[in-house]
Amino acid sequence: MVLHRKRLSDGLTVTQKVFVRSRNGGATKIVREHYLRNDIPCLSRACKKCINIVVPDAKNELPVFVLSESPQKLVDGRKHYVVLDANIVLQAIDLLENPACFFDVIIPQIALDEIRNVSYPIYTRLRTLCRDSNDTKRLIIFHNEFHEDTYVERQSDESINDRNDRAIRKTCAWYGEHLKSSGISTLLLTNDRGNLERAIKEGLDAKTLAQYIELLPEAEEVKDALPNLETFSSREKDVEARSEFKFPDYYSTARVMGGIKSGVLYQGSVQISEYNFLEGQVSLPNFTKPILILGQKNLNRAFNGDQVVVELLPQTEWKAPSTVVLDSEHFNVNDNPDGDENQNEREDAISDKQRRLLVQDAIQTQKSGKVQPTARIVSITRRSWRQYVGQIAPNSVDLQNGGTQNAFVILMDRSLPKIRIHTRRARELLNKRIVIAVDSWPDTYKYPLGHFVRELGEVESVEAETEALLLEHDVEYRPFSKKVLECLPVEGADWKAPEDLSDPEATAKDPLLAKRRDLRDKLICSIDPPGCVDIDDALHAKQLPNGNWEVGVHIADVTHFVKANTPLDTEGAERSTSVYLVDKRIDMLPMLLGTNLCSLKPYVDRFAFSVLWELDANANIVNVDFTKSVIKSREAFSYEQAQIRIDDPNQVDELTQGMRALLQLSIKLKQQRLDAGALNLASPEVKVHMDSETSDPGEVEVKKLLATNSLVEEFMLLANQSVARKIYEAFPQTAMLRRHAAPPATNFESLNEMLQLRKGMSISLESSKALAASLDRCVDPNDPYFNTLVRIASTRCMMAAQYFYSGAYSYADYRHYGLAVGIYTHFTSPIRRFCDVVAHRQLAAAIGYEPLDLSHRDKNKMEFLCRNMNKKHRNAQFAGRASIEYYVGQVMRNNESEETGYVIRVFHNGIVVLVPKFGVEGLIRLENLTDDEQSAEFKADEFKLSFKAKGSEKIKDVFVFDKVTVQVKSVLDPVTSKRTAQLLLR
Amino acid sequence: MSRLEIYSPEGLRVDGRRWNELRRLECSINTHANASDGSSYLEQGNNKIITLVNGPQEPKLRSQTNVTKAVLSIAVNITRFSKTERSKSSHRNERRVLEMQTALARTFEKNILLHLYPRTQIDIQIHVLQQDGGLMGSLINGITLALIDAGIAIYDYISGVSIGLYDTTPLLDLNTVEESAMSSVTLGVMGRSEKLSLLLVEDKLPLDTMESVLAIGIAGSHRIRELMDKELRKHGEKRLANISSNQ
Repeated sequence: MVLHRKRLSDGLTVTQKVFVRSRNGGATKIVREHYLRNDIPCLSRACKKCINIVVPDAKNELPVFVLSESPQKLVDGRKHYVVLDANIVLQAIDLLENPACFFDVIIPQIALDEIRNVSYPIYTRLRTLCRDSNDTKRLIIFHNEFHEDTYVERQSDESINDRNDRAIRKTCAWYGEHLKSSGISTLLLTNDRGNLERAIKEGLDAKTLAQYIELLPEAEEVKDALPNLETFSSREKDVEARSEFKFPDYYSTARVMGGIKSGVLYQGSVQISEYNFLEGQVSLPNFTKPILILGQKNLNRAFNGDQVVVELLPQTEWKAPSTVVLDSEHFNVNDNPDGDENQNEREDAISDKQRRLLVQDAIQTQKSGKVQPTARIVSITRRSWRQYVGQIAPNSVDLQNGGTQNAFVILMDRSLPKIRIHTRRARELLNKRIVIAVDSWPDTYKYPLGHFVRELGEVESVEAETEALLLEHDVEYRPFSKKVLECLPVEGADWKAPEDLSDPEATAKDPLLAKRRDLRDKLICSIDPPGCVDIDDALHAKQLPNGNWEVGVHIADVTHFVKANTPLDTEGAERSTSVYLVDKRIDMLPMLLGTNLCSLKPYVDRFAFSVLWELDANANIVNVDFTKSVIKSREAFSYEQAQIRIDDPNQVDELTQGMRALLQLSIKLKQQRLDAGALNLASPEVKVHMDSETSDPGEVEVKKLLATNSLVEEFMLLANQSVARKIYEAFPQTAMLRRHAAPPATNFESLNEMLQLRKGMSISLESSKALAASLDRCVDPNDPYFNTLVRIASTRCMMAAQYFYSGAYSYADYRHYGLAVGIYTHFTSPIRRFCDVVAHRQLAAAIGYEPLDLSHRDKNKMEFLCRNMNKKHRNAQFAGRASIEYYVGQVMRNNESEETGYVIRVFHNGIVVLVPKFGVEGLIRLENLTDDEQSAEFKADEFKLSFKAKGSEKIKDVFVFDKVTVQVKSVLDPVTSKRTAQLLLR
Repeated sequence: MSRLEIYSPEGLRVDGRRWNELRRLECSINTHANASDGSSYLEQGNNKIITLVNGPQEPKLRSQTNVTKAVLSIAVNITRFSKTERSKSSHRNERRVLEMQTALARTFEKNILLHLYPRTQIDIQIHVLQQDGGLMGSLINGITLALIDAGIAIYDYISGVSIGLYDTTPLLDLNTVEESAMSSVTLGVMGRSEKLSLLLVEDKLPLDTMESVLAIGIAGSHRIRELMDKELRKHGEKRLANISSNQ
C-alpha cells in the first residue's frame, strides 16, 4: 500500500501509519497520523547544522546537545558513536550502566519503543540513564521515526521486525552521513544475526556486542560483564552435546491464552518454599489451598516470584507438601559448571541420598493423606529476574586455569538455584561477594546462565555484607542525584522559619504562609528513641478552662519542601521508605531535610502539620482540628529520659505536667483500643549494641518497652485515625489509607492443630477481640516464655498490613484488624515513609491549604504508588532483619554458648529451633541429632520426631513446642561462605 | 502501563507533533450543494466530518414555531464505522451524543442572529465518518463552515479545539490515543477575540494549570480560524471567478 506524504508547512509532513491489530480473533485495521519533521537535532556537539533547527519545548527550554565532539576512541584509533539495537539494551542493560564503557550512545526511538514493550523496568532504567548521564556517559534518544530523513515505510513483503531493523540501520547510516565532516564514525551494535548481515551488506560498520567490547581499549575489564547468552554463533554447535538433559518445553502463547480462557490453565506467582528449593506453591483465587509444585521438572525453570502458568496434574499424582529440607547450596555440590556441555555420565538430577529421602517422604504423605492439588508449570509469563548477590562456589573453580572458565555462583537467597557464569577472573573472585545478573535459562541447561556484574568485597566484611543485603532487598542506596539535590531550599542548612508569619517579605516568597498558625507559644516536646536525629513528631497537652485537654500532635511538614512532581518527589516515591540497618540508615529524603530542616529539633522554629484535639478526661474526642503551623519544640527526650522526668515528683513545671497528662490520656486510649480488640503480638526482635569506639557489635539485647513508648504510639495512632477519616471524607476515591485484613482461618490451621495436640489449647478466630483473648489464655504456668512463643507463631499467620487507595476496596474492608480500628492511614512519619507524604498532601488539600496534585487524585497513579510502597516497605523490613541477623552472627562468633531454645517446626530430617535470646532460629539436621539415621521415625500427625540420641541407645522424642537446650555457635558454611547460627542439641 | 510514550522527555508526542502543534486541517465548503443550503467537509487529523445546514425553512411541525426567532436543531450522527472497531449500536439516542447536541445548540444559538429569521427553523445535520479524538472541536469547526456556506448571519467564526494536560505540559489538539491517556478540555473561541462560547471540562484538571491550558487553546483556535478563513476566501474567489466568466 502506498501512503501519501503531504507537506503541511516547511519542515512538517504528515503521513499515515497503518497497522492491523488482532483481538478476540478479529482483525482491526488502525490508521494513525504520523508527522515527520526536520527539526529533530542529532544532539552532537560536533555538528554545526543542528543548532539552527532546534525549537524550545513547553517549558521554553532548548534541547541539550549531549554527544561529545571528541568521543572515545576504539583500539584502531577511530572516534566513534554507537547506535544500539533493542536486543543489546535488553540483554546488556547492566553493561550500559557500567561507568567503564559505552560512551556517546544513540538509541533510536524505534528500539526504545520495543524495549518499552518488552520490559518496562529496563525502559525506566534506560530513561534514567539518559536523564542522569549527560556529563559522564552521554546517552541520547534519537527520534528516528519522526525525522523526515530517517523514517522508513514498511514494504509489502517485509515483516514488522525487518522494517524496524531497517529503520535502525537507516538511523545509523544517517548519523554516519551527517557527521562525516567531523570524522566521527558511527557503529551499529546488534546481536540479531539477520540485522547484522544486512547492515554489513549495506556497508555499515556493524558489530555484535562481543565484537564491540573487543574493540574497546579497556576490553579486558568489561569482558566479564558480557551477558552469557546463547548467541546465534554458539547455538548450533552445542545442540547435540547437551541433548541428554532437557526441561519440558513451555507451551506456546496461543495455547496458554486458550488454556487460561477455558479454565484448564491457571496463572499466578510462584512462591518457592524457604526450606525446600524444589517445592513451590502458587496461590490461586479459585482454590482454597495453594497449589503445590514439586520437583525440578515440574518447576520448569521458575524463579521465586515469577508469574507462571500452571497445569494441574492428575489426581493420582497429587502430593502433600514435603517434610524434607533441601537447600540449593548443599544440593549437587559437585556438579561441574562445564558439565552442561559434555555431560554423559549423569542422567538424573537427584543424588541417591536425596532420592532416598524423597521416597520416605512420599510414603509419609500417602499415609497422612494430606494431599494438596499438585501442578506443573507450563509457561512463565513474567520473570522476576533482577540482579542477585552471591559468591562463587569454590569447588566449581579450576584453580589451575587462568583463562575464562565456567563457574557456579551460589546466591544469598536460598530458594534460588545456582547460576552458571562464564568468567576469566574466577580465581580472583573466590571468597568475594559478587553481583550477577541472570540472562537466560535454555531448556537444555540444568542451571540458568548469568554474567558477572561487579564485586562488592570480601565475604564477611561489613561493607560487602551491608551492600549485599541492600542489593538483595532492592533498596536504593546510591547517593541522591544532582537533580534531586537541586530541589532542596537554596539556603541549605541556614534555612529558617520566618519570625513573623505576617511579614510581607516572607509572605511574598511563600504566599501560603498566611494560612499557617503560630503555635510557638505551646509547650511542645518530642519523645524518641535515644540518638534519633530524624524527629518526625512532637506533642503537647494543655488543660482548657472547661477541664478538657487540648492535645496537639505536630508532624514535620515535609511537603513544604517536597513539592509534587519534582525530582525530589519522584525519588522519594521510588524509595518509599527509609531503611534502618543496625549500623546504618538509608534515607528516603536527603540528609538536609530528614535530619535538619524537617526534623522537629528542639529550641528552633520548625514548620509542622498539626493535629489538635480537644479530649475529655476519658480521652474521648470532643473536637479535632488540622492546621499547618510553626512550632518550637522545648525539648527532645529519649523514652528513658521522658520516663524519668515523669516519674520524678520534684518536677512540677508545666511541660512535665503536660507530659503526665499525655501519659494518663494515652493509658486510657490504649485501654479503649484493647477493649475494642486490638492485638498484642510479638516478634523475636533483638537489638544489637555496638561498641562505641570500634563499632564492633558487642552484645545482643531483647527490645524493652517503656510506658513512654506507648505514650507516643497511642497519640500517633489517634492522629493517624483522625487524618484517615478526614482525607477519606475529602477524597472518597483516592484517599491514601492502610488496612490490615483479617487472617483467613486456614493460616491458623496447623498452629491450632499443634496447640490442640500438645497443650490442649486453641486460638479463636471469630474476631480480633476473640483472638486477643484466646492468645491471653495460651499460658503455660511452667514456662512464662510460652505465651510469647505462641504470639510469635501467630504473628507469622497474620496477613501483612498494606497501603491502598480508598477506591480499591469497599469501606468494610478498610478495617485495620491488628489495631481494631475502622479506618487508618500513616501520617506521622513523613520523613521516613512516603505514604505519610501523600497523606499530608491530601490533608492539606482537604483543609483548603493548597490544591492537591493531580497524581494523588488519579486512581491509576495511586495504585502504582501503593504497589511500590507495599513492596519497598516489605523489603525494608527484610533488609533490617537481615542486618540484625548478620550482626547477631558476628556476636555469636566470639562467644559460643548454651541457650534455651524452642522447637517450632518438626521435619522429616530435622527440627527448627528458635533461640529467644538471640532471636535466631536454625535448623538442626537429623545427621547432627543422631548417629543412626535409620532409627529415626517421624510422625507428622503428632509433630514428633524420634531418634536415638547421640552416643546412647535410648530413643529420644522431640515434639513441637518442646523446650530444649542447644549449643549455639556461629559457623561459616564452606560451600556458601555464609555465616549461620549452628545449633546443636544438648 | 500504556505501550507508548505519550509525551517524550525530548518533547515529542505519540504522532510526532510538538506540544503546541495542530493536526492537519483540511476543509472545503459547498460540498453537497444539491442536498442542502450549506455544507462543509472537514478533516482535522483523522476526524472526517460532513455538515449539512438546511434553512432557514418552514418548521416541519407548526408547534415548534417561535414567532420571535428561528429554531435551531442539531442532529449528530456518529456512524457505526467511525471508530476502529465497528460499533453495534447506532449511537443515535446515546446520552453522550444528546449532550453533544445540546452543547452545540447552546454554543451556536448565541452566535447565529436568530432574531433575523422568525418563524423558521434551521436544521444542522452532522455525519461523523471517522473520529480520532477531539471530536467536539471538529464538530464546531464543521458547523461554522456550513453556516457560512448557507449564508446564515453569524456574529463571528467559532473555532474549536481540545487541549489536554499531560503532567504539567498542556498539549494542543489531542488525538484518540492522547485523549484516552489524559484529561482534556474543549474550547470554542469567538473569532479573533478571547471570548469563549464553549468551555467543556469533563475530566478533573487542577485549577492552577487551567490558565496555561486556556492560553494555548485560544492560540490554537485562532490558528484554526485562520485556516478556515483562508479556505473560505479561496472558495469565494473561485465562485466569483465562475460568476464573472459566466457573464
